[in-house]
Amino acid sequence: MTADSEHVLEVVDLRKHYGGVVAVDGASFTVARGSITGLIGPNGAGKSTALAAIGGLIAPTAGRIVFEGTDITRMPMHRRARLGLVRTFQMARVFGNLTTIENLLVAAPGQRGETAIGILAGRRAWRAQEAANIERARELLATFSMQEKADDLARSLSGGQKRAVEIMRALMMRPKLLLLDEPMAGLSPSLTRQLEDVLLSLTAEGLSLLLVEHELDTVERLCSKVIVMAAGRVLQVGRMADLRRSREVQDAYVIG
Amino acid sequence: MAWEYYFVVLLVYLGTDLLAVWGLNLEFGVAGIANLAFIVVVAAGAYTYAVCTLGPDTADGGFQTYVGGFHFPYPLALAAGALVGAVVGTAIGITGLKRLRPDYQAVAMLIVSLMLVTFVSVDNGFLNGATGLALIPNPFGQPSQSERWSYVAMVAVCCLIGLVVLRRFTTGPIGRTLRAMRDDDIAASAIGKDVIRLRLMVQAVGGAFGGLSGALLAGFIGGWSPSAWAYVETLAFLSCVIVGGRGSDRGVSLGTLVIAVLLLQGVQFLPQFNSDPGLSEALGWIVLGGATIVFVWLRPQGVLPERRPRHGIGDPGSEAQR
Repeated sequence: MTADSEHVLEVVDLRKHYGGVVAVDGASFTVARGSITGLIGPNGAGKSTALAAIGGLIAPTAGRIVFEGTDITRMPMHRRARLGLVRTFQMARVFGNLTTIENLLVAAPGQRGETAIGILAGRRAWRAQEAANIERARELLATFSMQEKADDLARSLSGGQKRAVEIMRALMMRPKLLLLDEPMAGLSPSLTRQLEDVLLSLTAEGLSLLLVEHELDTVERLCSKVIVMAAGRVLQVGRMADLRRSREVQDAYVIG
Repeated sequence: MAWEYYFVVLLVYLGTDLLAVWGLNLEFGVAGIANLAFIVVVAAGAYTYAVCTLGPDTADGGFQTYVGGFHFPYPLALAAGALVGAVVGTAIGITGLKRLRPDYQAVAMLIVSLMLVTFVSVDNGFLNGATGLALIPNPFGQPSQSERWSYVAMVAVCCLIGLVVLRRFTTGPIGRTLRAMRDDDIAASAIGKDVIRLRLMVQAVGGAFGGLSGALLAGFIGGWSPSAWAYVETLAFLSCVIVGGRGSDRGVSLGTLVIAVLLLQGVQFLPQFNSDPGLSEALGWIVLGGATIVFVWLRPQGVLPERRPRHGIGDPGSEAQR
């Protein structure tokens, strides 16, 4: 066990081939505990594929993914989520026919009402826990100024609001590592700033973040470390300010 | 009194159809599994009840052949029907587990339904083939008027118990989790839900409802054969769910009353206005199909849509969930 090491996530020589097409070609990187790590690169660099492999949506062709000292390379997605490795999606995926607050409540970990005993025993078995979860969900909604939308069906929300719901839903699980796939895409500048503030305060509480983002100003403001991918490999790792001056990184973005 | 008899028949059909539609709604309406083989669990319950209550097939001069013949007490035979329904439902659920797209899953299950009905029809030694089973015992003996009402009471008790169990699964945290899985199963996995386990659980519970429905029906009719569980019967239940309100227990109950009982049984009361005796039944199916298409196009949420509980500020713990 290396759970007390400085890295919450270790990706070793990750590869993903689709037939003859190589999406990720031997990428290795780490995410430091309590930090925000950026993952950038031109379109087709393999960022989203790497994220999908880390989250468990796709099985890598080769390589190893270690989370909190546990090898999770072959672990199903729901078990990774229960360990505290939670992702959001590039296109926000909300539960459209549940209300906004239900989208948060459904993600609360260890719900007694989902167990065989809780189902058979009925409301008495889970009422108190549910009330506490509702309280916490309301607090999260307040953080994102979405209390008014609590009882609206999630499918009626705007694109930016759905994205916010997805992030709140992930936070409801009290994750250790949050994988965010372009969380700022489609958000207004003010909402972007608001989300940046929330993410920064969360890392202060010990959450680690791996952020795939196209908006490089956001990356520069948030990320202590930035991984640049191109053509399925890790090109460079460093601080955004330094990477901006790197000839190699510039070429990768221009040439793709 | 013929009218009293018809009324009893309709009530028994209503009760057994309600149990089946509740089970299918849990699978399709709440959890999003398009189980086009649902009628198979109803048949499993019916045949199980039959071979559990009948004696050995050498009795009655051996005019029908079947496995089993256990002479179980009636409550045990009903429970066995529900249990076998749960097992068969789970087995059918396994066919849809490999990450098939939902439409492929539905087709796979439809094929399972067609295969099984063919198998039972041609294998005369298993469940007496296409002729089916007859003389299935009724708990209240040879039915006279008063004993038919006892049967209605027994069905009603089963429905009440079923309703209590059903609501445990469609409301509260588990109901919410199942609906989340229905809306987006990948996002549900991403928040830690074991989608495979949940699907199999739903198939087992839905299967138990279907199995109990079939057992009660077989005991009332006294016979059961492959023609009673053609795949179109699943479509009739599905139609109750869609017209009534997918995911809504109240809605699908209303749908059952209107579609399965008033429409499909009501057409039997039409005067025969043509030499073809099957015409009024065909008319019922045409109206059913038309109504389903109209609802899918114009009101996919059904007559009484699913409602969600309110938890926002200013709605402290109100319980409007249906």
